[in-house]
Amino acid sequence: MSILDRRVVLVTGKGGVGKTTISALIALRAARAGKRVLLCETSGVTQVPPLFGVSGRGYEAVEVAPRLHTLSITSEAAIEDYIVMQLRFRRLYKMVFRNRVVGPFIDAVPGLHDLIQLGKVFDLERTRINGRPEWDLIVVDAPATGHGLTMLASPRAMMDLTVSGPFHDNAHDVAMLYEDPARTALLLVSLPEDMPLKETEELHERLGALRGLVRGLVLNEVHPSPVPDPARFQALYPALRAGADAAGREALDIAESGLLRTARQDAARVRLGALGPPVVDVPFLFRRDLGPAQLAALLPSVESL
Amino acid sequence: MKPARVVICCGSGGVGKTTTSAALAIRFARSGKRVAVLTIDPARRLADSLSVGEIGNTAFPVPLPDLPPGASLHAMMLDSKRTFDDVVARFSGSPDARDRILRNHYYRFVSTRLAGAHEYMAMEKLFELSTSGDYDVVVLDTPPSRHALDFLSAPEKMANLMDEGVMRWLVLPASRGGWRMIEKGSEIMAKVLKSMLGDRTITDIAEFFSAFQSLWEGFRQRSLDVRELLRAPETRYLLVTTPAPGARAEALHFLDVLQRSRMPFGGFLINRCAVAPVHVGPPGFGPRPDDVPEAEWAALVRALAEVPERRRRLVAAQDHAIAELRAHAPGAAPIWRIPELDEEVHDLAGLARVSVHLPDPDALLATSV
Repeated sequence: MSILDRRVVLVTGKGGVGKTTISALIALRAARAGKRVLLCETSGVTQVPPLFGVSGRGYEAVEVAPRLHTLSITSEAAIEDYIVMQLRFRRLYKMVFRNRVVGPFIDAVPGLHDLIQLGKVFDLERTRINGRPEWDLIVVDAPATGHGLTMLASPRAMMDLTVSGPFHDNAHDVAMLYEDPARTALLLVSLPEDMPLKETEELHERLGALRGLVRGLVLNEVHPSPVPDPARFQALYPALRAGADAAGREALDIAESGLLRTARQDAARVRLGALGPPVVDVPFLFRRDLGPAQLAALLPSVESL
Repeated sequence: MKPARVVICCGSGGVGKTTTSAALAIRFARSGKRVAVLTIDPARRLADSLSVGEIGNTAFPVPLPDLPPGASLHAMMLDSKRTFDDVVARFSGSPDARDRILRNHYYRFVSTRLAGAHEYMAMEKLFELSTSGDYDVVVLDTPPSRHALDFLSAPEKMANLMDEGVMRWLVLPASRGGWRMIEKGSEIMAKVLKSMLGDRTITDIAEFFSAFQSLWEGFRQRSLDVRELLRAPETRYLLVTTPAPGARAEALHFLDVLQRSRMPFGGFLINRCAVAPVHVGPPGFGPRPDDVPEAEWAALVRALAEVPERRRRLVAAQDHAIAELRAHAPGAAPIWRIPELDEEVHDLAGLARVSVHLPDPDALLATSV
């Protein structure tokens, strides 16, 4: 079963590993396969529309490619939505939750923001139009590792905190969706560097009962080998070096540092492979900016997930 | 006593903030200062890169060789929960009041999971270190968080939370044994909150605030002092970033927040910069050894000729990214480039290699943007 057949794909990893790019690739792949896809950002900074060469930002879904929509779930807007839905009266929400005295107190309720962002995705998942889900697949560009884990744990944390009441019951429903491996898949993104790899390993370990959700590990920014056959290069290195001019010697130095990097990449692939789920490489592009053409070029790398 | 100068390294996750902060601290110590570097990190990264086994909530000396006389380097990794406990203990009127808080169910959530608590405790520790008299400079590696500049507003948030209004509203009912209201309309609020969050939560929260009552004046004053320190004219904020295309939007976002909050910006530290090849023109190799087939040799030489070209494209993309940063930054914002190293930085020797590319404290103070 491909991850495209789930309802929700959550993408997480250490900060700076390229979660947004990978989320966009997964969403684009699903949309090209004919699915209606919603890609949700959660960081509050809108990054997806520019990737598709589209301007636009915010809480309303915008179409960035055929069948592919994106929106940004900020916790503030989602909190209002969510609480109004529970209370049924927007006026009551304004009176209680926008209150100067109560505001900070609501902000302080542990895990509320995380839960509500997840809860918003949960609501989007349930939305039906003429009996058919509005979205075939929802891809969530989730927060970075540590926070992502807190977010995944937030429904249970809220259930522990509240014991009963509407928040408790809703948190339970939300937990049911995210704990179901038939409906939810998790992708962990990493780079071929020690710290991001360590974080990926730690996250995988700390997921505990949720480990079964992990359907793939992405090794991002993989550089090509500078030479076709590294072993032959090493063997011929003395001959190349002996007759090289200054530019040649410099090229050899750069090639050697490139080979150190590809060796680190190979080691990283082995470390990720030891975790179990399939590992895919996504190549590094020597470009100024990522745009629609670059996304299309990267698309084949996530085809097997 | 003169408080230590504070240098705060900000930036999004993954740009090498922890490494850069540690290297900066080494640079400062090498130029003769007594330096402390503070990080919050569950992954023990600073401990790893400073090659020390354990970092607790106390500053320990880093064995840096060849320091000038009088200079020193200490490192600390924050234990946020313990710092919160210490704060409670410091401002509690009595051991009894302290224990009531430390045992409260809601306090456990507040001290470990409350958004902003982590950040606030980093600020608290920063204040403690900078006023201890033991250091000339304190370097802060800012905590990883969703909005990585949350710490700027953490003192205000904490002060608001401890605001008298909240206290009165929450504490009075609890201290009379029930959820009683003193403001018009607050009965509805209480009902709403109670029905949504459940009875026990509300009781726990009310008890927590009730116990916190004796602390709040001290706590509030402290958070105002911390806020002063963050804005002090000698404090410097450095933005750590990389030349990667994706990092730019976030760096500019940080810069915007810093400037709107009127924090003294000190410049950019651009980590992992690729270095352009010096020699132009096609590289020459050879001659081909007799036992190597001509086609193989030609293919290898072609691949090697492409190597400096690819590096040049990378450097061009990165120069473009840095020019964009410069265009958006305030006039004289200095930029320090840290070249990418072949080896990952794991130890003091690696940090020392990075540190030579960083500004010394006087150069940093001279930049005021």
